[in-house]
Amino acid sequence: MSEMKNQAQDAIEAILAGYEKLGYISDEQIATALFLAQKLEKPLLVEGPPGVGKTELAKATAEYLGLDMIRLQCYEGLDESKALYEWQYGKQLLYTQVLKEKLGDLMQGTTSLDESMARLNNFEDVFFSEQFLQTRPLLQALQNEAGAVLLIDEIDKSDDEFEAFLLEILSDYQISIPELGTVKAKKPPLVFLTSNNTREIGDALKRRCLHLYIPFPDAARENTILQARVPELDAQLRDNIVNFVQAVRQMDLKKPPAVSETIDWARTVVLLNMTVLDAEFIRNTLNVLLKFRSDIETVEGEIGRLMRETQRTPDTPIQ
Amino acid sequence: MIADFIRILRAADIQVSPAEAIDAAAVIEEIGIGQRRLLKHALGHTLAKTQFEKHAFEDCFDVYFKPPEMDLGDAEATSSGVPDEANAADEAGQSQESAGDTSDQDDTDGEAQEGQPGDQPGAPSGDPKKTAKKSGDPARDGKEEPEEAGERASLIDMLTQKDRAALQAAISEAAQKVGLADAKLFTQQGMFSRRIMEAMGLSQLDAHIRQLEEGGETGKAEGLREGRGQLFEAVFDFVERQIAMRTKNAGRLLREDALSRIRLSNLDRSDMKIMRGLIQRLAKRLASRHSRQRKKSRRGMLDIRRTMRRNVAYDGNLFELSWRRTKVERPKLLVLCDVSGSVAAVSQFFLMFLYSLDEVMPKTRSFVFSNRAGEISDMMRDGDMDQVMEQALREFGGGSTDYGMSMMDFAEATLDTIDHRTTVMILGDARSNYGDPGHLVLKEMHERARRVIWLNPEGESSWGTGDSEMKRLGAYCTHKQVCNSVKHVERVLDDLLRLST
Repeated sequence: MSEMKNQAQDAIEAILAGYEKLGYISDEQIATALFLAQKLEKPLLVEGPPGVGKTELAKATAEYLGLDMIRLQCYEGLDESKALYEWQYGKQLLYTQVLKEKLGDLMQGTTSLDESMARLNNFEDVFFSEQFLQTRPLLQALQNEAGAVLLIDEIDKSDDEFEAFLLEILSDYQISIPELGTVKAKKPPLVFLTSNNTREIGDALKRRCLHLYIPFPDAARENTILQARVPELDAQLRDNIVNFVQAVRQMDLKKPPAVSETIDWARTVVLLNMTVLDAEFIRNTLNVLLKFRSDIETVEGEIGRLMRETQRTPDTPIQ
Repeated sequence: MIADFIRILRAADIQVSPAEAIDAAAVIEEIGIGQRRLLKHALGHTLAKTQFEKHAFEDCFDVYFKPPEMDLGDAEATSSGVPDEANAADEAGQSQESAGDTSDQDDTDGEAQEGQPGDQPGAPSGDPKKTAKKSGDPARDGKEEPEEAGERASLIDMLTQKDRAALQAAISEAAQKVGLADAKLFTQQGMFSRRIMEAMGLSQLDAHIRQLEEGGETGKAEGLREGRGQLFEAVFDFVERQIAMRTKNAGRLLREDALSRIRLSNLDRSDMKIMRGLIQRLAKRLASRHSRQRKKSRRGMLDIRRTMRRNVAYDGNLFELSWRRTKVERPKLLVLCDVSGSVAAVSQFFLMFLYSLDEVMPKTRSFVFSNRAGEISDMMRDGDMDQVMEQALREFGGGSTDYGMSMMDFAEATLDTIDHRTTVMILGDARSNYGDPGHLVLKEMHERARRVIWLNPEGESSWGTGDSEMKRLGAYCTHKQVCNSVKHVERVLDDLLRLST
């Protein structure tokens, strides 16, 4: 037993290191979840506020494992013809028309009805074959020889019907296509589902998934993330940025700034060649951090206080 | 062990399906139970699937995977005989104790592997005396090994030696024997403690103490008596923790069930909080049920007839497909609530429920009245329920109920918007203090609206008695219903949503 658990531990640490190399700073929870998803061949449902890196996790995983990433963006009204496959009736109709014209030639020499039927049957396969099948992300993921990372993004935006439709794929990695029969995955893809929790995901779907919740990172982790993502940023400035954002997150806002916004903001700082965070600069660039007018107004009034609390840098000159 | 843990999770309102239980077993297979933190994360991913459940899960995990703790005397005395301990753990088998033990393994890992081949150590977690105990081991090993090879040490021995770990193991074992896992109520605590003590050999202990006393060895007897007291405390504590864990939510569920039936006017203030949670949950359920219906009707099946008709122009080739559509009608709702006196409580909950359904009934306008009526729709959407009700009562409540006047106000504000899609709901006791009940206004609304529903908190038998104008007003209503408990409110709104889809 001790050997086995050590293997698990090692594998998880390897995943952590692998992510870090790719610039995705994760934690043990995330790595454990990925390890389990791989081992149990179960989809992973990732929840958390927008901008904490749910989609990024799938991308990093694909890169880490060296697999193709296939992405399916969900939206209201998404159905299987967009997600799985589309039967190209038009093309099939066209073929039928062609056949109609050729029918005379084909039937030449047949004397009985049975004989002509038999001859027609030879062509049946042509009419129900994969050439009329337009594959969409889900089918692509199943057909991928090497296995793939399938990202079903923002599942909460799709309808209940689509969720139900996903159940077969997620539990058995197979799919039933009326025209062709059942398609089974050559190698089960690693499935990520992400959700922003705009609506409750059905129990049936949840039951089939492992569940990972990614919260806003704490200061130390956010710092590391910034370091990985915006390496050209000066360490002192990075501390200040992280502290400021963390403080802003404590406030009562409509949408608190997420990691992606912190990164954007850090990039802004670099782009504008700032050497120090001052009130003027913060005021001018708050729109990078906050996405609602009312939020910006709330924070604007508090900049002074936030700066006093978060910027402990008496030695840096004020510009 | 996993099965028992899952039972506890279920008791804590975490929904764990059998499939998930199987997953959990697979996870343990994959990860092993050695590392507590890893196990916690991994099981968390598998079993707890909402943020609320994650929190509950963490609490349960921490409590469950923690052995019972006892405080027996000083550091030296607590050092335990290793063989006993190993034996006890063996016997305890799948009891919670062994589950608890494993949780410590990450901190005692190294030592444990050397010290006890094959078995999980019984060292209590976070024990500061652990190192002292370990260092004391080799010396004691020689002395105690031969004694009680196959059999567990008796309670008396354990107490005299103050063998803490063995006692803990014995407690969990006894707990399993007496079926503590089936405990349902807090009142069973004493009974179970007693039973556990008896299973551990309380009677022998008492007899032994008596014997010692009669034999004149009062010092020894005193020590044992003291140990017995401590043991009893420990068992009681253990049982309390176990029962608390298992019945955490049973009481709440019982209470909620009762609350949903109670007359709202009889509601105690202290129950307000539970009530609010209950309403929110019911509303969510209702909303999800009906939003599904609405979405379903948005799409449809292929409408063969229309497709054929449309494609006549293309020589019968089916180019343009047309789909059968069901028209969706969102309920347009106008609500008028009496906020005077006894009806106020019902109104408050009704409105609270209604606005929790904002998602499926976005076109709701609500008015409250006692002597005059006024609109509170905007307040309801933005504000905190309590504040809104307070404000509404201040603005519109107070005076004596005047149905005639209020109906006029209501009609003036809304009559123009009432059309064949509108549902008008009025909540009130229809007691007009012998004044004008406003039935003419209601008649006008009835003619225009799709339906008028009157909800009366009074029982049907008292309609029309005294100053109740229910009979007169009822003539202009499509439905009349009694409504005075959360159950009623739920049913009314459910019907409404069903009617309008």
